Amino acid sequence: MSVCLTITFLFCLILARLLYVQTIWGGALRLKAADQWNREIPVIAERGLITDRNGEVLAGNKTTYSVFVRPNAVENAEYAATVLSATLGIDAGKTLEKISGKKISEVTIARQAEKEKIEKLAEYNLAGVYFARDNTRTYGYGDALCQVLGFTSSDGGGVSGIEKYYNSILSGVDGEIIYSTDIVGIQTENSAVVYEEAEKGDGIRLTIDLDIQLAAENAMKSVYLSSKAKAVSCVVLDPQNFDVLAMVNYPSYDLNDIPRNDSEKLNLLSRNTAVCDIYEPGSTFKVITAAANIEEYLKGNSKAFSNSYVFNGSRTRTVDGTKIKCWSDHANGKHANQTLSVALNNSCNPCFTDIALALGSQTFYKYLQGFGFGNVTGLDFGGEALGMLVPQTAVRDCDLARIGFGQTVAVSEIQLACAVAAAVNGGNYYVPRLLKGVVAPDGSVTENPAVLKTKAISSEASAILSEMLEGVVKEGSGKHAYIEGYRVGGKTGTAQKYEDGRVAQGKYVSSFVGFFPANSPRYLALVIVDEPEGVYYGSTVAAPVAKEIFEDIIKIKNIPPCS
Amino acid sequence: MKRLNANKKAGDIPLLICVFLTACFGCLMIYSASSYTAQVEYGDSLYFVKKQIIGLVLGTAAMIGACFLPYKKLFALRYPAIIVAVILLVLVFVPGVGVTNYGATRWIGFGGITVQPSEIAKYAFVIFTAAFFCKNYRNLKTFRGILPVLCVGLTLCALIIAEPNMSITMCVGLLMLGMIFLSGTSVKTFILILIPFALAVPVLIILEPYRLQRLSAFIDPWASPKDEGYQLIQSLYALGNGGFFGTGLFNSVQKYRFLPFAESDFILAIMGEELGFLGLTLFFGMCGFIIWRGIRVAKNCNDRFGFMLAAGFTLVYGIQVIINALVVSGAIPPTGLPLPLVSSGNTSLIITMASMGVLFNISRSD
Repeated sequence: MSVCLTITFLFCLILARLLYVQTIWGGALRLKAADQWNREIPVIAERGLITDRNGEVLAGNKTTYSVFVRPNAVENAEYAATVLSATLGIDAGKTLEKISGKKISEVTIARQAEKEKIEKLAEYNLAGVYFARDNTRTYGYGDALCQVLGFTSSDGGGVSGIEKYYNSILSGVDGEIIYSTDIVGIQTENSAVVYEEAEKGDGIRLTIDLDIQLAAENAMKSVYLSSKAKAVSCVVLDPQNFDVLAMVNYPSYDLNDIPRNDSEKLNLLSRNTAVCDIYEPGSTFKVITAAANIEEYLKGNSKAFSNSYVFNGSRTRTVDGTKIKCWSDHANGKHANQTLSVALNNSCNPCFTDIALALGSQTFYKYLQGFGFGNVTGLDFGGEALGMLVPQTAVRDCDLARIGFGQTVAVSEIQLACAVAAAVNGGNYYVPRLLKGVVAPDGSVTENPAVLKTKAISSEASAILSEMLEGVVKEGSGKHAYIEGYRVGGKTGTAQKYEDGRVAQGKYVSSFVGFFPANSPRYLALVIVDEPEGVYYGSTVAAPVAKEIFEDIIKIKNIPPCS
Repeated sequence: MKRLNANKKAGDIPLLICVFLTACFGCLMIYSASSYTAQVEYGDSLYFVKKQIIGLVLGTAAMIGACFLPYKKLFALRYPAIIVAVILLVLVFVPGVGVTNYGATRWIGFGGITVQPSEIAKYAFVIFTAAFFCKNYRNLKTFRGILPVLCVGLTLCALIIAEPNMSITMCVGLLMLGMIFLSGTSVKTFILILIPFALAVPVLIILEPYRLQRLSAFIDPWASPKDEGYQLIQSLYALGNGGFFGTGLFNSVQKYRFLPFAESDFILAIMGEELGFLGLTLFFGMCGFIIWRGIRVAKNCNDRFGFMLAAGFTLVYGIQVIINALVVSGAIPPTGLPLPLVSSGNTSLIITMASMGVLFNISRSD
């Protein structure tokens, strides 16, 4: 009797334990066990497209395949290695070594292999060899916009430019093919294959206008060749909202043939200098000094000069014991009887020294900061340069005097382009942007709105300045950018370059910032020619390039001349 | 002795049927649990089943033979049986005869056949003890009266533990306690024996470091999922995957070489995976039936030797089923012990079936 009871008790104990393990604990155990039962192969998601503002595809995709091998499931490693190397065009010896390591459950044999290769490979039906969708990026316009677009690594992630900056939007969600396998990774006979589809990434619609970009590329390429410059670059902005319409850096490289093996060369060519590098702007900076003066004068600041004030005609100014000279010799009546407007036309340095000193560091710095100097613009691009501006607390008069005409200050191109755009568009400083909108796979677009950052000057001051800059192109140093029937305004710049703190003889940065129509600017271009050979004045080297770009824009957009 | 051949009864036919069906079911489960592993490792998915079917045929023959062999003849075999058992257990340690597997020498090989002497020893011990108690039933109340049984039992235990084979040692130990308890000894004597046994368990665990590791792995198998904890984790995965209704016959996932010893010591886990808790409950119902019939045979036997023999054989079966189930379900630390009649392994199958034949023969008498 006691034996019967003992045995019954023990059986009840066993059943209770089994009931617990199999039902209550069962779900959790199954979840843990699923790890060892299944092997996954990643299905790479199709990357979102990068298009220009009109939907023209700049970065697209080609479906390719990745090839994986589970060494334990391979029946004849030597045969498999031979077939793999022959079909995929890879090294047979290395492949054999890779697929012979029985300790690794899965090795990647190839990424981004073309469809034709995979079709050939599939005919062999090799055990233990798997392939799944991969993604290869294709760029329809080769080197156009290459530094802005950037590129992806061999595993598909963005490593530079927009590809990197908006990688999380573009990359999508990879899928999986899940196979059930035995303990060493051999697919089991009744293996349930689960296919989890990849989710395509969202598209990026840029503010870039491809037609304008290509026109700018052409213009910049030809000036690069004709001037034998070290480098050239250009930014085209829409001054009404700071959309970047074009951004060119030259020399460049072909996005479909990236020099990945020469990292030094790649770093140099893939750098978006228009955003990431700084230079001393020279005379183009006088636009900002003039803007500050006009605004202060309108506000009733007695230290500011009126528009009819005639500046001292001397060639030099002495500040803190240092002598500041005009680039012109002021001989034979040159640079005489200059009002602000004439001073801009002549790009006369001493006049702008006078303004900077008259306004004083406190007032002048208020404008420098309002126009975004010494700070990033907030462009949606990685690695934007801050520029260099002597801190207000440390600035001496001799510094301030030079900042007035664009020396002792360094800016990025995007910084200067934005500042000038704000000076002539009515005084509105927006956050510049490359992203126009995010395009969901269903085609719906989430627009990226323009953000007004600050009001730099009043619209009255801006209108007066625009008219003066129109004069610069009509009858001043900017006349090489003049287009009959179109109200082009602008300012030239020729800055000496410094090396190791000294003026580098014969090395200049020639630039021109132009915009049209002057009464309500829609297009603004800043053209930089770095170290041209021979002629080096911004007026003769850079201004004609801006003109060429503007003429192309007029053709592309079919803009009628104003009456 | 005069009642031998007299008063023949029909015998416990349901017991035989049940044993035979369980053994057949074992072949089916071995096929399900081992076909994949056998294909990969031996190139023959039927490798283990073929062996088991030979065992089933031989076992059935042995069972039928035992049915017709008057059990009282076993009385005369009490000394030869125990001597043969001891010799076989010693042979395990003779180089060239003993076969080592998984770090333990538990088998002896003649040509292509391997035999596990400890399986035989359990039954030899039952025969010896039944005969001894039958002959000396007057002295059983005292410690001295049962001392010879203790000596023989402990000798066997010592030899088996030296292999090492903790689980069968435990079986023999429990069997010895069960037999002594059933012999009708006094409570005082029984407790006197029980105490040293209870003390022996921790001592044995401490003696061999691998047992301590297994014990800690049992407490938290996921602390060493690739080493000591592996076997238990895989067993639990199988049971968990089965759930209440099971994944269906042949649909085990754990048989894809995840669960070691899936066709032998841990076949119950695969059964739990494929047939679920429901299937295991039915299976234990079957086991319970066999044990109940065994106890019934013992109770209905008027002969002291028959009683002890029937009870002993039933105990051997019952103890193994229970310990195996407790191990597989993770209720006690893992030890290698086959599930009688089901696990792959011919020695165990043939001898268990033969012992059931003896039970039948006992049921027929009187």
